[in-house]
Amino acid sequence: MFFALTDEQRALGETVRAFLSGRFDLTAVRAVFEDTAGDGHPLELWKSVGEQGWLAVCVPEEFDGLGLGLLDAQVVARELGAGAVPGPWLPTVLAGEAVRLAGSDAQRAELLPRLADGDLVATVALRGAGGAWDASGVAVTARPAPGTVTGIAAGSNGFGSEGAGGSDEPSGSGVFGGSGGLVGELSGTASPVEYLGVANLVVVAAIEPGPAGAAPGAGEVGLYLLDPGAAGVAVRPLVGPDGTTRLATLELAGARARRLPGSSAAALADLIRRGALLTAADQAGVAREALTRTVHYDRERIQFGRPVGSFQALKHQLADLHVAVTMAEHAVMYAAHALDAGLDDLELAVAVAKAKASQAARDATAAMIQYHGGIGYTWEHEAHLFYKRARRMYGAFGDPPAHLERVAALTVDSLT
Amino acid sequence: MDLTFSAAEEAFRADLRSWLAGSVPAAWREPGFWAGVPDGEGFELRREWERRKFDAGFAGIDWPTEYGGRGGTPGMKAIYDEELALARAPGTVNPLGLAFLAPTIMAIGTDEQKREIIRPLLRCDVIWCQGFSEPDAGSDLAALRTSGVADGDDIVVNGQKVWTTNAGHGDRIFTMVRTEPGSQRHRGLSMLLLDMHQDGVEVRPLRQMSGATEFGEVFFTDARVPARECLGGLGNGWSTAMLLLSFERGASGISQYTAFRKSYDEIVRAARALGRDTDPVLRQELGRRMVELECLRYHAMHVLTQVERGADLGAESSMTKLQWSETYQDLFETFDDLLGADAAVSTPVAGLDISALQSEGFWTRSVTIWGGSSQVQRNIVAERVLGLPR
Ligand SMILES: Cc1cc2nc3c(=O)[nH]c(=O)nc-3n(C[C@H](O)[C@H](O)[C@H](O)COP(=O)(O)OP(=O)(O)OC[C@H]3O[C@@H](n4cnc5c(N)ncnc54)[C@H](O)[C@@H]3O)c2cc1C
Repeated sequence: MFFALTDEQRALGETVRAFLSGRFDLTAVRAVFEDTAGDGHPLELWKSVGEQGWLAVCVPEEFDGLGLGLLDAQVVARELGAGAVPGPWLPTVLAGEAVRLAGSDAQRAELLPRLADGDLVATVALRGAGGAWDASGVAVTARPAPGTVTGIAAGSNGFGSEGAGGSDEPSGSGVFGGSGGLVGELSGTASPVEYLGVANLVVVAAIEPGPAGAAPGAGEVGLYLLDPGAAGVAVRPLVGPDGTTRLATLELAGARARRLPGSSAAALADLIRRGALLTAADQAGVAREALTRTVHYDRERIQFGRPVGSFQALKHQLADLHVAVTMAEHAVMYAAHALDAGLDDLELAVAVAKAKASQAARDATAAMIQYHGGIGYTWEHEAHLFYKRARRMYGAFGDPPAHLERVAALTVDSLT
Repeated sequence: MDLTFSAAEEAFRADLRSWLAGSVPAAWREPGFWAGVPDGEGFELRREWERRKFDAGFAGIDWPTEYGGRGGTPGMKAIYDEELALARAPGTVNPLGLAFLAPTIMAIGTDEQKREIIRPLLRCDVIWCQGFSEPDAGSDLAALRTSGVADGDDIVVNGQKVWTTNAGHGDRIFTMVRTEPGSQRHRGLSMLLLDMHQDGVEVRPLRQMSGATEFGEVFFTDARVPARECLGGLGNGWSTAMLLLSFERGASGISQYTAFRKSYDEIVRAARALGRDTDPVLRQELGRRMVELECLRYHAMHVLTQVERGADLGAESSMTKLQWSETYQDLFETFDDLLGADAAVSTPVAGLDISALQSEGFWTRSVTIWGGSSQVQRNIVAERVLGLPR
């Protein structure tokens, strides 16, 4: 039995933390946060992120990656959360997972090395505004691109199921044009999409037409590699409270994109689970940091002639938070391992981790404001950076109520 | 991460499982069985069963063989706890002796104590009580007043203990006594190993809110104990008690998860019988309970990992206690929520008897009190883990 991080994993976390505190501390975070007109993507930071290999964690060694897994990636995500760090690390890693798991050999060979070193900024567009985090929430449809080999030689739904075939390049600059694959035309919207404004690769989920004669909506789910510079793509920036990211709506009107041959509803569900896990890890980091900062402040802050941290009303709530945050950390570790190892209960594990970490992050950041008093409510104070990040991530890849319902479905409905 | 057990550990699991399959009577596995057996009779049934378990080599799993143990690994102990819960084997009749006294004696007992106490304890031939709490000394153990005065080779004990688990069945009691007259707080205390079968000891059963009489009051009136039956040395009672209480930690979380998970399933079955398992609000609540239960399981694996590597868990065990006890209690609040008006009766619809779950629910009210109350645990986490000032 070994339920813990290895020395290497711990060292990775310490490296990320040390780097951030030296090179991208909360002052730098704040600059990005407040620069609402900016793209939220500090290039120096991104360069370092690439150089340090933090984007390469899940990329296999044959594609110039580190060949590790989500358990290692969650170490990085936690530290990025603890630092409230802006930038497209998470969506890029997730897009890489889509390519790794559903891409053809050619797509993997073309894209993974460039994702691993930060050459490409990528993101995922999996859901329409207001939709659920599953195939029913996808608001983009795909149809075979006319005039491609694919469209003609297709299977029952017009796409076929293999990666071989497509000869036409999607229009646009074609950062990933060389690797072939079936071509579809995408229409519809996805929103909010992280870092769409700076991405040069977007993994888009789209509903494909069902077999001829099938009921509407009975189609497959395709995952597509979209060049945001392609014709028929519009990016509409969105304004949101959390300045540690940038969000936009993706509008597609017949934009051409290449299909990942391993696409399916299950592949989409898997990708969403990975997104939920990495988000939960970030939140565990946010929660731990918010709690630690609050404890430090309340040890020193004197009122009524004693540190406020000596008042039991605070102590007990902070103790409960410590338990909750620790449980969230364990849950994230377990879920990461469950995904890496393909454990039977991975679906339950991810739902547990996301529900627990989202709640812990919200509670810990709210407590951070409350137990700093008035100063915690000021713009100058860092509490709101964490609070707003936690609040944004609360809903990303499924909010706690959605995951709790999932847990109920898995443990109530399935009970015999 | 490696969440598997070793081949030897899995072989042990297989042996144990097949032994349990033939040894736990089918009737015992029915959820309400033990509630229907009178306290005294049930105790003797369980004691007999534990003797058979000892004789079959399934006792003291991670204890050295010289004490009658099996010399197994912490992983085997975790497997053992889990398999017993899975088999719905009854809980031990000697919980305080097994969990606290025996490991303390192994650590600091005299050779004579090791020789004479541990094996009969393990076989449940001698049932041990823990005599710490007094009417005016519960969470604040150092306020205890029961006195012990030397008289020749004996110590003469006077005073009262309360809420003593198994008081009615106890043969001996390890009890904290003030042996230096006039001493204050943590000083001048001793841990005595006293025979309860003597005129100077009177036990009065106390009925618990669940209706059971698992605990009682213990009165000492010139009760005698030989001075050599002091554990850890005269006057060292406080440090002995702290060492003893530190054995509370360990790998028990996995078996708690297993047991609570069974309760969760029973509660879901009740919800189904009442047609409430599709209620979206209750499903949210059940989901929340399952999240905490799963977290308990992960945490238990983390704790087991630490134990296997010989790490000192220290104040982390307070976190474990909070997680399991609060989760267990909350689970039964969800049970109440789903019962609604049906909580008024024990058979709300034909074919559904919830009396066992109801009394389990009452029991959960106690788990945040004994073994260090939740408030005390939060103090420990806040002060010793987070470093908040006193
Ligand atoms: C089922 C059961 C079995 C038991 N078995 C045994 C046994 O075998 N042997 C034995 O010695 N004892 C036993 N006990 C007693 C148990 O250890 C005590 O009940 C426990 O230590 C609490 O003490 P108390 O009851 O005096 O409550 P008190 O200490 O009076 O506490 C009352 C309330 O005040 C809170 N409180 C106390 N101190 C603080 C503080 N510093 N900060 C904040 N809140 C505080 C408590 O959490 C509690 O909510 C048992 C109790 C139960 C319920």
